[in-house]
Order: sequence, then C-alpha cells, then structure tokens
Amino acid sequence: MNGRRIIAVASKEIREVARDKLFAVLAFVLPSFLMLLLGVCLSMDVENIPIAIVDNDNTPESRDFTSRFSSSRYFNLVSIAYDDRELDPLLKNNVIRAVIIIPAHFGKNINKGRPAPIQTLLDGTYTSRAQITKGYISSIIASMNGNLLAQYISRIKGIPLDRAQIAVRPVSVDSRYLYNPSIKSVLGLAPRLLVLILYMVPPLLTGLGVVREKETGSIFNVYASTLTRGEYLIGKLIPYVGIAFLNAIVLLLIALLVFGAPFKGSMLFFLVSTLAYVVSTCCLGLMISTLMTTQAAAMIFTAIVTQITAVNFSGVMVPVGSLSPGGQKIAHLFPCMFYTRIIEGTFLKGTGTAQLWLNVLILVIFSIVLFTISYLQFHKRTNA
Amino acid sequence: MATASVLNGDGSALPIRVSEFGKSYGKVVAVREASLDVVKGEMYGLIGPDGAGKSTLMKSIAGVLAYDAGSIEVFGQKVDSEESAELIKSRIGLMPQGLGLNLSPDLSIEENIDYFARVRLVPPSELEARKDRFLKMTRLDSFRNRPMKNLSGGMKQKLGLICSLIHLPELIILDEPTTGVDPVSRRDFWAILSELSRAEGMTALISTAYMEEALRFDRVSLMHEGRFLASGTPEELVGLVPGTMVELRCPNQIEALGVLREYYAQVEPRGEWVRLLADTADRDKAKSEAISFLPPDLQPTEVRTWDPDLEDVFIALLRQREQTEGEATSAAGTVETYAALPEEQMERTAIEAMELTRIFGSFTAVDHVTFQVKQGEIFGLLGANGAGKSTCIKMLTGILPPSSGEGQVSGADMRFAGQEIKERIGYVSQAFSLYIDLTVLENIMLYAGIYGVPKDLRPERAEWVLNVAGLSGRGDAKVASLPMGLRQRLSLGCALVHQPSTLFLDEPTSGVDPVGRRQFWDILYRLSRVHNVAILFTTHYMSEAESCDHIVLMFAGRVVADAPPESLEDNIENQVGHLLEFRTSDPPNALGLVTSIFPEALAYGSRIRLISSDPTGDEQRIREILTEHGIQVLSVTPKPISMEEVFVHTVTSLERESEKAKGAA
Repeated sequence: MNGRRIIAVASKEIREVARDKLFAVLAFVLPSFLMLLLGVCLSMDVENIPIAIVDNDNTPESRDFTSRFSSSRYFNLVSIAYDDRELDPLLKNNVIRAVIIIPAHFGKNINKGRPAPIQTLLDGTYTSRAQITKGYISSIIASMNGNLLAQYISRIKGIPLDRAQIAVRPVSVDSRYLYNPSIKSVLGLAPRLLVLILYMVPPLLTGLGVVREKETGSIFNVYASTLTRGEYLIGKLIPYVGIAFLNAIVLLLIALLVFGAPFKGSMLFFLVSTLAYVVSTCCLGLMISTLMTTQAAAMIFTAIVTQITAVNFSGVMVPVGSLSPGGQKIAHLFPCMFYTRIIEGTFLKGTGTAQLWLNVLILVIFSIVLFTISYLQFHKRTNA
Repeated sequence: MATASVLNGDGSALPIRVSEFGKSYGKVVAVREASLDVVKGEMYGLIGPDGAGKSTLMKSIAGVLAYDAGSIEVFGQKVDSEESAELIKSRIGLMPQGLGLNLSPDLSIEENIDYFARVRLVPPSELEARKDRFLKMTRLDSFRNRPMKNLSGGMKQKLGLICSLIHLPELIILDEPTTGVDPVSRRDFWAILSELSRAEGMTALISTAYMEEALRFDRVSLMHEGRFLASGTPEELVGLVPGTMVELRCPNQIEALGVLREYYAQVEPRGEWVRLLADTADRDKAKSEAISFLPPDLQPTEVRTWDPDLEDVFIALLRQREQTEGEATSAAGTVETYAALPEEQMERTAIEAMELTRIFGSFTAVDHVTFQVKQGEIFGLLGANGAGKSTCIKMLTGILPPSSGEGQVSGADMRFAGQEIKERIGYVSQAFSLYIDLTVLENIMLYAGIYGVPKDLRPERAEWVLNVAGLSGRGDAKVASLPMGLRQRLSLGCALVHQPSTLFLDEPTSGVDPVGRRQFWDILYRLSRVHNVAILFTTHYMSEAESCDHIVLMFAGRVVADAPPESLEDNIENQVGHLLEFRTSDPPNALGLVTSIFPEALAYGSRIRLISSDPTGDEQRIREILTEHGIQVLSVTPKPISMEEVFVHTVTSLERESEKAKGAA
C-alpha cells in the first residue's frame, strides 16, 4: 500500500468529476435537488380535501352542517350546489374528491327527532385517500351528533349545556404525538430522505468510476502500471466518499433549515455513522463497477438495485416492522435499514451511541464485505 | 531463468521472448503459434490489419491479458499469472490503442503527465526536468495547460507517448500509436521515439496497420488472422519474395488488366497504370515478358519497374500460404452490368464543392474548400482524423448544411434536390452501415427499399449485388459472421443497389487487410472506367492515394494540395529534391552525424532517409563525414517520393510560410 499512489488516483478522479459538467451536476446538484423535490412532494398529510356540498334543504340546520366542513382544515369547500347533476363534471375532472348530499327535510327530521340520513359520494380511485376522507367526514358527523344529543339532554333534563356535553362523551381522547408533536409528516420524512438519497446517488457515481475507465480503455494504464489493486480501488473510492459526505452535510442543513426538522441526538455520532453509511453505499457502487463492463449497464443495474431496495426495504416508505417476515429478512441484507434507525434515533428520538452502536458496526461490516468482493472481482490481468 | 541462448549481447535476459503463444476468445482464435524474440534496444514492429491479433499479443506480453497456450518471458521473468505479471510492470510502459483514449480528456497536458508520474512514483525533482525535456521534444510545451480533449489527434498521441515514457521504462509497448494520425505528426512521433530509444537504450514493441511503416523498425513480424506470416528485418522480408514490380501504361487499362491476370497472380490497377508482380528479380526480363503477353492493340506507351514493397510481399506470402494449405480465397466481386448514364450527365461535373465552409462554434471544421470531380473519376480526399473530410462529404450529400459556400452533385444542391436526383447518389459511411444481425440478403433488400428500387426489379438486383460483393450463394449468412473485408464489399454493394452515378465512400478501407483492400479497389476501378461512375472517397492511408486519378489533401479543414498524385510527387521532386536512403555500419551514431548537417534527416529503423536537392554532392558530403568517424556506408539508394512525403512537405512549408507572414506583420 503506497499512500502517494492512492493520492495520485484520488486527485485525478476528483478533478475529472469536477470538470465533467454532467458528472459535476450528478455529484453536487442532484442530491439537494432530490431532497427539495421529495421533501415538498412526498408529504403524506391529507389536508384541504376539495369537496362540494349539495344542500337540498337550505335550513339553519343544513347550513350549520355545511359550516362544519367549510371551517375544517381538512376540507376545502369548493362549491355549494342545489342540484347534484352539476357536480358530476367536477368529480370527473378531479376538481373535487367528495360530494356530500343533504336531502330535503334534513332540518325538519332533526327537530322532530327522526333519523336524518345524508349521502356522501367519494372518489375511490386512490383507496387510502378515500378512507382517510371518509374517516374525517364520519368524525365531523359524530361530533355534530354529540352536540345535538347534548342540546337535547340539556333541554329535557334542564341541566346546563356543558354538563350535558360531558354526560354525552364520558370518555374523551387526548392524543399527544411523541417525537413529532404536530405530526406534520415532512418533519419525519425530511431526515429519512437522507437514507434514500445517500443510498441512490453515491453508488451511481462510484459505479461509473471504474467502468468509465474500462469503456475508454484507460484502465490498461492501471493494469500495466505498478498500482496495486487495493491502491487503485481505494483511490477510486475516496473522492466519491468525500463527495457523498459533503452532500450528507448539505442534506442535513436542508432538513433542519428548510424543512425545520428537529435534531435531538448527538451531532458527532450522527456524522460518524453517516460516514460509515456513505462508505458502505460507495462500496456498493464500487462492487457493481467491478462487475460490469459498460457505463450504461452499470447505471441501469445500480439504479434498479438501489431504488427497489430503498423503496421497499429501507423503512422509509414502509416501516420494516410491517413487512412480511420474508421481507423483514431481506431488509437486513442492505445497509439502508440500519441507517434509517440511526436517522430516527438522532433526529427524532435523541438516542445515541449506547442504543445505536450496533447499527454503525453493521454498516462497517457491509463496507468491508462489499470492498472485499470488489477487490476479489477486480483483476489487473483479464481474460478478454 | 533465462538460458544461455536467449541472452542479449551483454548477458542479460531478453526483453521479450514469446514461444508458441496462443489465445482464443470463446470459439474465436485470436492468435495461434506465435513465437518472437526481441533484443535489447531494438525497435520491433508487429504489422497487420485489424483483427490480425496484434493487440492480443501485446497485451499478453504487457501482462494485462491472460492467454491459453505457449509462454511469455519478459526480462527473463515468466509472465503466466497475475502475480508474476506484477513483477515486470515497473520495467514496462504500455500505450493502449485509440487516439488519446487512455488519457483524461478534462485534464491538461501537464496534469495528465503528472498523474502518470505520480502513479509511477517518479521523484518530483526528476519529474520537472524530464517533463520539460519531453514537452520540448514533442513541441507540446506551449500547450501545457490545454485540456487534452482540445488537442489534435497527433498531439494526443504524442502526449500518450510522454505519459507512458515518463518513468523511463526499459520496454515500451505501443499499440497502433500512429493510426489515424496525420503524416506530419506521425513523422514527429517516429523521430521522438527513435531518439528516445537511442538515448535511453529502450526496447520498443510497436504495432501498426500501415505496411509502409515497416521501414521504421529494426525487425518486424507480419501478422494475418492470428498468425505470423514472416519475421525479420524489412530487407529480409522483401527478400522472401524475389521479384519485380512492373507498371505499364496501356491504352485500355481494364482490358490490359484482364489479359495480364491470366499470366500473373498479382495484378491491379493503380492510377492510370496496370501494376503487376513478376517473379523474377531481373528487371529487364520482367519488363519484356510482361509486354510480350499483351496483344498489339494493348501495347504499353510507358513501362517502369520497382522493387516490390512490403504490401506486395504480404500479399504474395498470403497467396503462398493459401496454395500450400489449400485455404479458400474469398472470390473477388465483379460488376458486369450497370445502368447507363444519361448523355447530358456525362458532360456535367459530377461533384462540385464551391468555397464550402462549416463552422462548429469557434472551430472551423471545413475552411473554403473548392474542388471538382468528373464522371468516371476516382477522387481521393486525404487527410488525418479531424482534417474535415467527413464534414465535407456530409455537406456535399446534403446531410449537413454548410455555414457558407455551396456543394453540388450532378449540378444540384442535394439539400433541395428532389428524390429523383438524390437517388443518383450512393453513400458508404465511415461506421459500417450494415445491420449485423440481419442476413446478407435482408440487408440488400432493406437498402433496395430505402433507395427506391422498384419491387419487381429487386430480386434481380439482389443477385447483382451479391455478385458485386463476391458473395454469391452466401445470401443467407448473417452479416455478423462475415470477415471485415467482405462486410466492406457488402456495404459497397448495398450503396450500389440502385446503380447510382455518383458514389461517396467515407474511409471504406480503414482496417481492411491488403488483399481485401485490393479487391475493393478492383470494383471501384471497374465502376469508374467501364461504367463512368464518379467516386469520391476519403482515406487516411497515404498509400491508397496513388490509386486515385486525382487527390485533394486536407489539413486542418483546408485544401493544401489538389492535383493528380504523380504531378504532386513530381512537384516535390522539382521543388525540394530527391529522396536518398543510407544504410550504414553504425546506425545510431550515423544518425547523429547526418542530422548535424541535415537536420531534417530521419531514421527509418537502421536506415537514414533525407530529401536532397543535390543528390551527388550531398551523398559525397555524408560519405565524408561518416568515414571520418569510422562509419562505413553500406549503400545509398534513391527512393521514389511517396504521398507521405508530399503531405509532410506541403504542410510544413505552409506552416513555415504562415509563421513568416506572422513575423512580417
């Protein structure tokens, strides 16, 4: 192992990356761009659902009912109509997601103590959104029922309305969301995006590193030189680890400053474990690079492997605990899940070395295994 | 360990010793039974067309490619595993094939050199001095900070050479360093290499596809389809085929060709001449015999004789091997019938470029190019990679609009011409335009459709194309299974399927072996002489220039010469003088002495060449200075000026003029 030769390879590589426009964009712009894009677009909060109400009754009761929707932050009342046929095109063109139809005699039925049915039409194309919408509508109706009941009791029994309210709802729920008090999904998502982006971009860059030289033929300079296999691979790895780490810090700042994510753990521990993570993801790229012979193949292969595993097994989009037993086993074969735990711990929970050291160790082991495979795969004397 | 029989003069092990070497890629045999010894300080050449196995052998010697059979020893070290190969790497340098492909395009000249030096652990103190020396020698020192991607092909190769030499290896292996490089840079390249190998006592193994470069080496091996045809000094190789080249100028070239082919195995057209190889070294006998075979109406008006050159020898050796081993020669193609040209078209200029210019950004690819091609003429557009040849063709065929000027084919601008006129053009592009997963016949039918050949005519035409390409009966073969030479003839056949009156060929013979190239030329001659087709073709083989009726030399987008090849050569002879070749008893020291009085003298292997305006006087002066220093002059031979010299002298004198003009201003 000769340090000067490693530096020679690394410094050449970093200059090439910085001067190649496409490569420089991939290396320095793409990660931040992905972070901002996904942070804004991937928000899983369901708010401001556009709805319309058809009021066939037009009484104080029906207007009270309508106002409960128009004042809710979960709904955006787009239109109040008196004929449900007007709303068909709005549903078809995705202008509204749900329609609530208040029949005639709605107010009269309530006042007479008779059942007062209403109808809701939901856009069911996206199931989970439809279910969430239905849940919101049901809870608004439940709260209205509760109020009506309380009014009725206070009227009949002659007790004050607030006591009647308590009598109607003896058990009340007061939820406090730990780690993300306002349950704004972006606060939890932004830190987790580091897992995805640092898993998809660095291997792509590193993956091209060795293959590019194979494709142009400059790899023969390496083969015919006194560079050892280890020196060459380490020299190739260092610049990309450096770039990835730099990106990690930029992404951290975006998460904290742009998206306002909390950070409760130890910064030092976070940086050390992030370094371990990017080394492991760069080694993944290096391994692919030594296996492939063309840049196109390396790129497609890296993209497929990292995207599929990142989306399914990283614990970012779907918690690993809710995967099937088989899926959970697969998740342990890739480094991203372990880093997700570190991210959740340091950003949201404030846990540190004591609880998370094993995950860092696993990342180091990933790096060692992937680098060893690369080393065994890479030969300075080839067969073709 | 080396045995006594494989030592250099000083008792050390030979730089390269290869015996019974063999290597296959899957089922394809790349090299078989190759044996080779290279002595210390020698410049050894591997010469052969694409696919001959040169790269395979060189990479195996450099220890970067595993092989199947035989053994390789480098400096006495067996190279048979990844570990043993590592042991020789500090003593060798390798420059892989491809123009600048082994360099980093975004790094500057200096940064590229530094990278190689640092990888090789050259001490920084020595590096500076060495770098200065090499950069000066290659005349690259004023471009130190220029990114490699902005260098010309010749500059890239010189930089590549510096990079592989920066650690002063004892053995340097260069894979086709001069392919596609212009003759001026090529001459520079050889001068630098021979100076270095002399100064450092370096051994060099170099491959090339140019037969005429054989003379640059001390010893060469001719390779063809993975085998060594012959090895030895260039003189020894020429001596293998005793004979005389006879060139005759006959009233009817094509008919004379037909007659003489019955008596000689190697007969081909060359410009207005018919050229043949007679198997006697007696020139007068060869001449009179050839004349006697011709009937009275074909009697030559002029006859001349030469020693055979290496390309003739290569073909003769191949022929001999085929006779002894009974290998089938692929049949040559023929063009019997062809669409007759309309009367009025015969009068017209077939191709005309008028001040054609094309500018890409700040780079002028083609700079006010003007020339004319007549019907029935073979017109060569010569120049190195990047000289602007392909851009010219693209503008003439209407693929690329010119920045200014105009190009016409049959009197029409192709950009605006109707389909009917467009169908008068055939075009074979630089990259193969064949679909290699389709069969021969499927390719022909595809082109027949593209060129608008009427449906009922197509089967007949397909048969005709198969004949032209010499592929009769092989219509169902996949193109991928055909060798390079045949594929090239097939792409020519496809471009002819509509029997156009004008043919554009962009580097059609690049990488094709000499036999394939000559068969290709046979077809071109028939098309031009019998069927009056105008042919414009580009090449970077200077040797092919002599086969043209007329040539235009391009350099950096400009036309630097425009005349029939012979008159260009005569011009140079009148202007600058005759080419002399000296053989001496002590080549390295002789070169130093000769260059002290003739700075432009060049080493050609163990020979020295120079152009002299006063051959007898100069010969006398050189003999005097050499005998003074105890060096014997073995022979002095006058040599014919080749297109290579024409190009070099035209370009260098133009450069001198422009420098003078700058100085005056």
